[in-house]
Amino acid sequence: MAEEKNKRMLSYLEQLKLKATQQPHYGGDITNEEAQMDIRDCPECGAARAYHKGLTACAYCGFVFMETKLTDGIHIKKENNS
Amino acid sequence: MFGLFGKKYSNPALLEELRTRQDRWFVFLDKLETRMDELTTAAVPELHTVYQQDDDPYKRSHGQMLMGLIGQVNHMREKANEVREDNIVSFLYGAEATVPVITSEAGRDYHNRILAFRMACINRYYIFDEKVNEAIVLLKGTEGQQDLEGAYREQLAAFERIRDKFSCKQCGGNITIPKMFFIDTYVTCSFCHSQNTFKPSTAARMVMHNARALAEQRTAQLLRAYEESNPQDRSLYAIYLRAMFNEWNSIVPDMAVENEKFYQRLLEEHTINHFK
Repeated sequence: MAEEKNKRMLSYLEQLKLKATQQPHYGGDITNEEAQMDIRDCPECGAARAYHKGLTACAYCGFVFMETKLTDGIHIKKENNS
Repeated sequence: MFGLFGKKYSNPALLEELRTRQDRWFVFLDKLETRMDELTTAAVPELHTVYQQDDDPYKRSHGQMLMGLIGQVNHMREKANEVREDNIVSFLYGAEATVPVITSEAGRDYHNRILAFRMACINRYYIFDEKVNEAIVLLKGTEGQQDLEGAYREQLAAFERIRDKFSCKQCGGNITIPKMFFIDTYVTCSFCHSQNTFKPSTAARMVMHNARALAEQRTAQLLRAYEESNPQDRSLYAIYLRAMFNEWNSIVPDMAVENEKFYQRLLEEHTINHFK
């Protein structure tokens, strides 16, 4: 009952403000992450990807990291194909 | 002869209807405007506080509240539009059909009165429509200016602090990040040549997201110079656009080639089909 009364007391604007601030954002909240370094080793033999052997396959055992053929982008170039 | 030409057409009921309808329409719009004024004056400070308190990088809470308020104002516009269609426009058609033809003397008089009613009502609606637009501009103006320059300088300093702090995940050798990256990037270890992935912080990613807005903030005075020129001087716009893109490219140099195409398009679109 008291809650009902309280609800009525909240003006339209306050309700709108409450809804806007409490409503979960589409796509979730942004979590602030620090800069970090990571690596993807070959799951078959544990070798890292060597620069001159390309990014798409393991130079040692031939494990395929990605099926796609790389094209020229900003940081990745087509020379990075294994 | 039969007294056909002696009788003058007279319809006081219609005149009364025109008068009361116009009064009701004016009172209705006055009330809507008062409500709109009340809403915007109360909402602007609230929107300001929500914007200040919103810690989401995209200010989505503020955006949601703003959209809700704009929806309310637009709803008033729709309501006025509906009433205009139902009670003014359709009534006008009916009234015009009942009075004598415009070529007769009485007909001309009545048609003129109906025309005066039409003009008064529609003009009043245009005034209301203008006020709706002003209210929307007022609500949208609550965003204020973010301190993007400060955030950018902070990220530059943060990058200088961390650029030597990483080590290769494969051999443990020291890695220096060659330049500031805004997206995940492969970085090669200089000792074992392994491809490490550098993931920039969320705040560093936001620099790329805000780069254009920051460039626009830096060159705002050039845009103002163009907007204030009378008649509008297109060469000033070109100067502004070039300066803005130069700033943008200096913040995110990786996108310079793509940005150049965008610059050309904006420049062309600004001059095409404009009669200024």
